[in-house]
Order: sequence, then structure tokens, then C-alpha cells
Amino acid sequence: MPVIDRARINAAITAYVSVQFLDESELSELEQETPLLDWGVLNSMNTSMLLAYIRKEFGVTVPPAHITWRHFQSLKSITELVHDLSAQQTA
Amino acid sequence: MDADFDIGIIGGGPAGATAAAYLAKAGLSVAVFEREVFPREHVGESLVPATTPVLIETGCMDKVEQAGFPKKYGAAWTSAEEREIDRMGFRNLTNGFRSAEVLFSERDQTGVDRDYTFHVDRALFDQILLKNAESLGATVYQGVAVGEVDFSGDLPVMRVRLGGRSVPITVRMVVDASGRRTHLGNQLKTKVTDPVFNQYAVHTWFDRLDRSALAVNKEQADYIFIHFLPVADTWVWQIPITDTITSVGVVSQRSRFRSFDGDREKFFWNTVASRPELLDVLKNAEQVRPLKAEGDYSYGMTQIVGDNHLLIGDAARFVDPIFSSGVSVALNSARIACQDIIAAARAGDFGRHRFTRYESKLRRAVRNWYEFISMYYRLNILFTAFVQDDRYRLDVLKMLQGDVYDDEPKVLATMREIVRAVEEDPQHLWHPYLGTLRAPAAAPGF
Repeated sequence: MPVIDRARINAAITAYVSVQFLDESELSELEQETPLLDWGVLNSMNTSMLLAYIRKEFGVTVPPAHITWRHFQSLKSITELVHDLSAQQTA
Repeated sequence: MDADFDIGIIGGGPAGATAAAYLAKAGLSVAVFEREVFPREHVGESLVPATTPVLIETGCMDKVEQAGFPKKYGAAWTSAEEREIDRMGFRNLTNGFRSAEVLFSERDQTGVDRDYTFHVDRALFDQILLKNAESLGATVYQGVAVGEVDFSGDLPVMRVRLGGRSVPITVRMVVDASGRRTHLGNQLKTKVTDPVFNQYAVHTWFDRLDRSALAVNKEQADYIFIHFLPVADTWVWQIPITDTITSVGVVSQRSRFRSFDGDREKFFWNTVASRPELLDVLKNAEQVRPLKAEGDYSYGMTQIVGDNHLLIGDAARFVDPIFSSGVSVALNSARIACQDIIAAARAGDFGRHRFTRYESKLRRAVRNWYEFISMYYRLNILFTAFVQDDRYRLDVLKMLQGDVYDDEPKVLATMREIVRAVEEDPQHLWHPYLGTLRAPAAAPGF
């Protein structure tokens, strides 16, 4: 199985976070570098939902050791994480 | 010297009554000495499905069904994290960490032929089991306490208190089913207190409590509910006893109980108040029994089998009531022990080596159970994410069903890995949610 395209991952995760975790008024402000954790868009709790979505959508399992601040701080870092993991897990 | 009975059993609770049933069915002469007169109150009201095969084998199941106890189809957890999630605009597609629930029927279990188990009034349930043992031929003495058991001769002699006198009863073997009184453990000085689970429970019954108030799915109001409180290592059980009566218990660290100068009322109500919506539910119901406390919380024995004796149920080991394991351990330890006892009787040899199969099986089960409970407390509300994850759900359910007597359940390795990852990295998103209660690196040596 080929590595999943980075743009596809990014589009799906951006859409998921927008629909699930944001109010209408916040939508326009969401950017790739928006600090999701600092802003409280993403928190320790709804990460479990996001993890389930990533697993279902891309077949990528995020190991417990990767559920850290560094990997979940922005849409960009989450995209990188999923992309890297998909490369490892399909290798 | 002739024995008065083949087997003398100390205690007529579920462990003693179940052992008496198996042994009497096998044609042995059995005497049960129960210090109280049934029916009597007892804590430990929620069962798990692992009790089903035993209740069927001993012939109790029809009577238990007829008693009309509330049926228990599953378990549910709630936490106080709900409000924060709402503020974050949580869309509630799944439950996040707010709640989780399992249905027993999601996983097939050997020997279990129905989708439910029961919540029971132990006064009635225990009486059904003891009467059943009697009907199978066991001799049951109620209101008769056992004193010291003399193991110095060829056969054990039980000193039994009858009408103000101490009467010697000679038996070929003694089964200690004395529960948390740990009769032989005290006498033989083999009891070891567990330093980790130094918890304390205070419980009572309420009438007309709104059981659905904290349930996410209102149809599950008759599940057992475990409510996490925003206080370290503290939770509340909510167990339906009848249509209107609900058992409620607070479990917390003993140090917390001490901080209220040992005042049960203050401990119970102050702890519950940490979750205002739960406090409201209790305030609107009527408390119908005084608060009762369970101390001497967690313990094991350096020996659970010996020449001419063995220990079953709570008399052998008690860890923590979190997963309703008490009656199941009582029934299953009695079942497994009786296989060895019946073989020993046929061989005419009740030496310690006859019971090693029982010992290793029970110790393995308890070790699995102990680790599961340790990690449950450490995971704290993260456990709810675990239950919801389809990769782990059935393995967790296997533990919750009480199916712990075989090899190490797979889920333990996974839980261990997750706990380690979250513990080691302060930047881990789940780090702030870990419970403070830490299990030792190695399981205790008992």
C-alpha cells in the first residue's frame, strides 16, 4: 500500500477539527499553524476522538508515546505525524 | 479417631455455601458453621457473569431468577469532565472521557448462557445459596461461631461455640470461607496487609434515587454505575437493589477518611459534594440505612492452602471492589477448590500437595486481577477511552466479566504500555489525568 498523500491527510484532518471542535465564529480563524492546544480547540479529552478518526480514516494507529504536545500542537504537526506513521505502518 | 464430618466449613456466605453445595453433591459429609443467623446484611451487591456457570452447577440459578433481583446487563462509568467538554464545543459523537459503557453480551463467555447477571440484596441472595446447600445434604449451623481450629493432631478439631460451651468437632478437612473476618489467616498469622490499596469504603441504601440522572443513555439506568469523582483515587458505586432501592458507596484513600477525623457522615457527604450533580441526586433521595464503613481494606495471605485446610473467597484475598468481583471470586474459588478437595477425599489424603492446582489457579487469577485494578486506578478517567476503543474493548470486557482464571489477559500488556508512555512524558496530553495511586513495580508476594 502506498503512503497516504500528505495533502489528503491534511484536508481530512482540517475538516474533522473544523466540524467537530470549532464553533462557526472560530472557523475563519483556523490556520495550519493555529496553536490548537493553546487555544483549547484540541484538549486532552477530545484527542481520543481525533485518534479514533485517524485510525478509521487512514488505518493509522498513533502509539501512546506519540500522543504528546509536540505532535498535536497544530494541524501541520498532526498532518506530519500521521504521514510519518502511515509510511512506517505500511512499510 | 473418627471424624464427625468429612469437611467443616467456616462461614455460610456465598463461598462457604457454594463449597458446601459442590462437596455435598459429591457425597461428602459437610458441616457449615455460620456465626450469624440469616438473613443478614452484607456489602458486595453487584455480580459479574462469571458467577453464572457456578450458580447453574450448584442448582441455585432457578431460585436466583425467581427472586426477581434487578438484571445487570452491563456497566457504565461517568466522570465530571462533562462540563469542560461542553465548554469546548464537544459534539458528542462518541463520549470522550465523559462516560463509557459495556454490555456483557458483546462478548461470548464459556458456560454463560444469558446476557445478564444480577444486582442482589445480599441478605436474600446469601440465604438462597445457603438453603440450597442444606437441601443438597450439607448440615448448616446458624448462629454458631467457630473458635480456634486445632491442627496439632491427625485430624483438625474445630472448637465450636454452642450454647455457651466450646464443643470440639473433628473433621478431615477445614475450608475457611469466613470472608473479611479471615478466620484462619488471623489464627495462623498468615495475613498481609496490602500497602498500595489502602482504601476505605462508606456505603448505605437510598430509596427513590434517580438512577438515570447521571446516565448518558437513560435506558441504562439499571447498569452498575461507577462515578469518578474529581478527588484522587475516589469513586462512587451506584447499584440497583430493587425497583426503588439503590446502594451507594464512596471509596477513597484512607488518609482522606482520616482527614475527616474518621467521621463517616462528613467523609461521605463531603466527598460526594465534589460532584455537585451527584450530591443533588442523593439529597433528593431518602437514606434508608445508616452509613456503614469497610476498613482493613486490602490484604492477602502468605498461604492459602495447607495440610487439611484451604482458604476461599474473601478469606483468602481481597483487593478492591471496583469491578464487582467479590461474589465471583467466592463462587469460582469454591468451585476450583472443591475439584481438588473431592479428588483428595477419593485418595484419602488431605495433604497440602493435594491443593496446589487450586493454589496456582487462584493466585494467577488474583495476580491478573490485581494488575488490572492497579492500572485502572492509574489510568483514572483515561480508562473510559480504553473501554471505547474497539481494539481493546473485548479484552477489557473479558476482565469485567470476571473471566480471569486462565492465561494473562492480553489487555494487561496494552494497558501497561499506555500507562508507561503517559507516565514517562510530562508533555503527554493525558499526563494530567493520571490517578495518583501507584502500584509497585512488582506484584506483591502473596
